[in-house]
Amino acid sequence: MITVLFFGPVAERVGQSQLEIAFQAGMRLQDLRGQLQTLYPEAFALVSLAAVNGTHVRDWTVVLADTSEVVFMSKFSGG
Amino acid sequence: MKDAVRIEQDDFSQDEEIRALQASSKRMGGIATFLGCARDFSEGRAVSEISFDAYERMALPEMQKLREEAISRFGLLEARIVHRLGVVRAGDAIVFIATGAEHRAPALDACRWLIDELKERVPIWKKETTPQGETWVTPHP
Repeated sequence: MITVLFFGPVAERVGQSQLEIAFQAGMRLQDLRGQLQTLYPEAFALVSLAAVNGTHVRDWTVVLADTSEVVFMSKFSGG
Repeated sequence: MKDAVRIEQDDFSQDEEIRALQASSKRMGGIATFLGCARDFSEGRAVSEISFDAYERMALPEMQKLREEAISRFGLLEARIVHRLGVVRAGDAIVFIATGAEHRAPALDACRWLIDELKERVPIWKKETTPQGETWVTPHP
């Protein structure tokens, strides 16, 4: 399974802060984004950043491993 | 002594942070600080409180990395960063940055660099509570 986390405005639009998605061998970050974007288009309209296992990932073609923790994020507004 | 980089719910003491910074080196000739506070007015609306959400698994390491980068980039002797989460009322402190160097210029430059980078790189989001309801804040310079 892949754990997907949401925070702030993205979590609000998704309606929850965590999803569990079935892992598929060869699944890329962009594949997962596409899958979830279909289900939550309003939330993913805000998404411009992603992290895998706590690290900011800029390459959306990165292949995910089983048990990965993925976060789709909007621009930050701390400080 | 508390960690130099922290994310916490409770308010912090600026005096304690500056004392801890100063205690790290007697060679420190300049200390610069930045205190970010919750405003009671934003985008033409009254704001009573701000709540924060964060991806802490990434936020804290990113803040630690920022501190290390600032020390190396500006030749600082020490730097401290504290950011609050949870609910902060208008007028309360949100974030505190303190930088110490042998001279004032690198301390001031590093302090400005740190808050700018923190806003870009640390996964924290703020939501303002106004009479019209709650609104997530869109980043601006």
